[in-house]
Amino acid sequence: MNSSPATTNASLMARGMTALREKGDIELYANVFVIAWAVIITLWQGTGFAVTLGTVFCIWAILSVSLNLVVGYTGLLSVGHIGFFGIGAYGMAILTSDTSYELLRTESIAQFGWPFFAALPVCVIAAGAVALAVGAVFNRFRDDIYVLVSFGFAIIAFNVFLSWRGLTRGAYGIRDVARPKIGSWEVSGELDFLILCAVFLLIVVGISWFLVSSSFGRVLKAIREDEQVAQVFGYRTTFYKLAIWVISAMMAGLAGGLFGSFTTFVDPNSFILLESMLLVSIVILGGLASIRGSLLGALAFVLLEEGMRFIPFLPSEFVGQARQVVLGVLLVLLMLFRPQGLAGRYKL
Amino acid sequence: MTHHHIDPSEYFGIQTIGLTKQFGGVKALDNVTLTIPIFGITSVVGPNGSGKSTLVNLLTGVLPYDQGIVKIETNSFEVIHAYETPGHGITRTFQEVRLFDQMTVWDNLMVVLTNRKLWASMIERSNGRQGADHREKTEEILKKVGMWEKRDSMAEDLSYGQRKLLEIGRAMALEVQVYILDEPFAGLFPQMLERVKDLLRELRASGRTVVFISHNMDIVRELSDQIIVLESGKFLMSGEVDKILNQPEVIRAYLGT
Amino acid sequence: MTNARAYLANRSNLLASVLVALVVAYIGWKVTESPEQALQFAFNGMSVGAVYALVAMGFTIVYSTVWFFDMYYGAAAALGAYGVFYLRSSETLGGLYEVNNPVVNGIFALVVAGVVLWALHTAFYYRLRSRFGEKTLRIGGVILAVCAGAYAGAVLTFPSNLHITLAPTIAIIAAIAIVVCGRALNTRIFRSNLQKVPTIALTIGGIAVGVGLGIWLADSPGSKLYLSWGVSCFIAGSVSLALYRGLYVYMRQRARSPLVMLVATLGILLAFSALIVMVFEPTPRPLPEPFGNETWKVAGASIKGFNVFTIAVACVGFVGLLWLLKMTTFGRTVRAIGDDEEVAKVVGINTTVIIAIVFFIGAVFAALGGLLSGHDTAIQPRMGLLLLLKGWIASVVGGIGNLQGAILGGFILGMIEQFGIWDLAGEWRDVVSFVVLILFLSFWPTGILPRK
Repeated sequence: MNSSPATTNASLMARGMTALREKGDIELYANVFVIAWAVIITLWQGTGFAVTLGTVFCIWAILSVSLNLVVGYTGLLSVGHIGFFGIGAYGMAILTSDTSYELLRTESIAQFGWPFFAALPVCVIAAGAVALAVGAVFNRFRDDIYVLVSFGFAIIAFNVFLSWRGLTRGAYGIRDVARPKIGSWEVSGELDFLILCAVFLLIVVGISWFLVSSSFGRVLKAIREDEQVAQVFGYRTTFYKLAIWVISAMMAGLAGGLFGSFTTFVDPNSFILLESMLLVSIVILGGLASIRGSLLGALAFVLLEEGMRFIPFLPSEFVGQARQVVLGVLLVLLMLFRPQGLAGRYKL
Repeated sequence: MTHHHIDPSEYFGIQTIGLTKQFGGVKALDNVTLTIPIFGITSVVGPNGSGKSTLVNLLTGVLPYDQGIVKIETNSFEVIHAYETPGHGITRTFQEVRLFDQMTVWDNLMVVLTNRKLWASMIERSNGRQGADHREKTEEILKKVGMWEKRDSMAEDLSYGQRKLLEIGRAMALEVQVYILDEPFAGLFPQMLERVKDLLRELRASGRTVVFISHNMDIVRELSDQIIVLESGKFLMSGEVDKILNQPEVIRAYLGT
Repeated sequence: MTNARAYLANRSNLLASVLVALVVAYIGWKVTESPEQALQFAFNGMSVGAVYALVAMGFTIVYSTVWFFDMYYGAAAALGAYGVFYLRSSETLGGLYEVNNPVVNGIFALVVAGVVLWALHTAFYYRLRSRFGEKTLRIGGVILAVCAGAYAGAVLTFPSNLHITLAPTIAIIAAIAIVVCGRALNTRIFRSNLQKVPTIALTIGGIAVGVGLGIWLADSPGSKLYLSWGVSCFIAGSVSLALYRGLYVYMRQRARSPLVMLVATLGILLAFSALIVMVFEPTPRPLPEPFGNETWKVAGASIKGFNVFTIAVACVGFVGLLWLLKMTTFGRTVRAIGDDEEVAKVVGINTTVIIAIVFFIGAVFAALGGLLSGHDTAIQPRMGLLLLLKGWIASVVGGIGNLQGAILGGFILGMIEQFGIWDLAGEWRDVVSFVVLILFLSFWPTGILPRK
């Protein structure tokens, strides 16, 4: 076994050292800073707030980890991921909400009244099915044209949510989305929901890690570097791209289902193009081709909003905008000085 | 060194019939019919722009051809897809080195060896308990091309010569019949040149076919068993090295009338 | 005939032809069904398409010069529209809501000062260095730039007196334009040898016309709206130029791929659209009524004068841009840079200056598109991104990197959008245009008029 490179202790040490040196200190500082920030916020705002924040973090983290599979590992800069998120959320809302809208004199939609755990797989599969169709069309595009068509997917998805009123009630949104129930234990408390989301996040991170460290993950990286050469060595890259695209979309659909249930109200405004652009920024900020980076990016993004409250003279309604400005400036700085993001392994 | 007597019509390797490729009205390859036999070292020579690289790109599916047929062993192909190349028993290197830049040297070789089945490759973890044979093969190749110490550095951080060697190594990791090397000797230092020559000889000794493109006539004379000459997109002639290189047409093609 | 059969033998060509035939048949059916309405939709399509064409043309000259995708461009379109709103908000909102903000004015004053300093430096520094000495030139340049900045700040701070504050500038520009154009005409077209006399006459005439124009402007408050167009176009262009010179130049040296630039400019777009929301609030706003708001009935379709004006602006912009690119030295250098920037550098073209000017022009086109569409409908912070995407689609449809393709693509996209929502509701407009994009990319990836 000594012949294999990964198992000798000395070589492991050496590899670790070089890896540390290559990474530089920025990654370390960023990790420490963000985690310290999380602790400060928790202490300052109390645990109840931290639980809400944690749930939001889990949902964003699932999203950004899943997007990183596509952007960071496969090199397809997709700006349309929010569409799959929306499909998940609407799937959850339509299937579980059994509120009658007849009395409200607005458009009514069909009621299914499914339980959460029956609806969640449907959300995931629906997102995957849409991804299969979309991916089959998108597979031939590359680079900035890919960005453009993925913008298109986000816009089409948003318009469907907004305008297909018979299904989604359009701008009115769907309320009373069900919370999960396991046996007699209804997951209604905030902490319970956080635990549920964290479990799903762990599953998603586990699957992602398993995929990217397998031979499949290596082929994805090869496709990212030079698709044609990967083909010459016998890989039908179309299928690989399609597979990771569908898997990633299914994860986003899962996040969407959780989101719908978490907010108990779903309307198209959560799935606008801007959110999608923010999501891409998180992935790039955290680090391309690094699952840990995506977690870091999502955490930083969620905390950034709270951080904005420290800025003097900033009216509270502009906190979201200020976060957007900071994110934009960070993106520019990263592209200038660190094109792989804070903890990334792949330079754009 | 024994020189085989080669008569192209006797051996059936890779055969092209009427292969034609146009780039916007310019014929890069014009009705090329030739045979690459399945043994020894074959070199493809010709002045710049004679269509050598285009020929290789067409044979490996990197570019689609407009007209013609490629016969590999007993199968005829009107279209060659790049991903079928190893299935046809062919692998190749590129004129401008095309490595997987932001992957380690180790991964650059491993990616060639692992499972081609999509679902199986998701489960395969060749750096773990499985794939000991892959690791052995990778180690062997890395030691052969002298890059064992560099296995953890990114391919983009290597020097030009090292990249060239690694690309040849990557092709060698795949055990196929035909190795097509596009200008493997260009821009190498003498020491590395010898190393590449040894690799080619080793491939020949193990019964593989090597097809290489080169401008260096000394190396062509030294290594190749047979030679194919192209001139401005057309097949000029092929045959034994010494005979061909003394032909007046070839000399004229090289010196430009 | 055999050619056509060979063309159709390709499966994707066949599909594309079927699709085109279906679209044509659909439009034809609609036209026979109700010609008046078809005319109406066609006109609407033209006027929407004019805006897309403007954005697409600006996008095209930037993209075909630097070959990366500048997302700030969307913010430039939004800036153009919001600039008009910023300067004319008191008219629209009746003084209910004062947007004028010293911080914003200060920032734009700084940008203008920077751009003026850069322009003076590139135009005069090396030429006059030996005559006046470096120190004098630097001090003089800084003083002039500060003056320009202060002036820009003053113009922005007193939007209700736009016609007075801008009168001298317009006068000076008019005078200079008359002198320069007159001299060019004199030497090139009339081939006149009477150099001295016409120059003096031209100068006197130019000054007279300039002063007259200035006095007339200062006396006509109705011109404020149109002056605000100029100001917001200039500001959008200046910001673009400043971004290029101050940021993109360095970023391009480091960037490994165009995607780096795309992501960085995405960050800029994010920041700008957030700032727009912070200054103007996210609600949609109207712009003041321009001229030509009355509608005419032509063969059953109601046609708005302002929309005709928009179409005319797109056509004039196209002709102007075409003239600039095909007939002038500047245009030749732009095309040389687009073909190969390294070679252009080696040949001795100052690529930075040329590209900076291209960025300015591109952003001015975007701003024009933004403000014209803002007058037609309403303005909202996300309009920038949408216009940018539409312009991008239009240039893909027309053939990416080709100016003729851009204007054609813009009009075609507008038409398809309008006819596409005939049987659907208007809210499916964006879906229609993206479906068009994906169809085009799948079956006709080079566009209608590919770049040679």
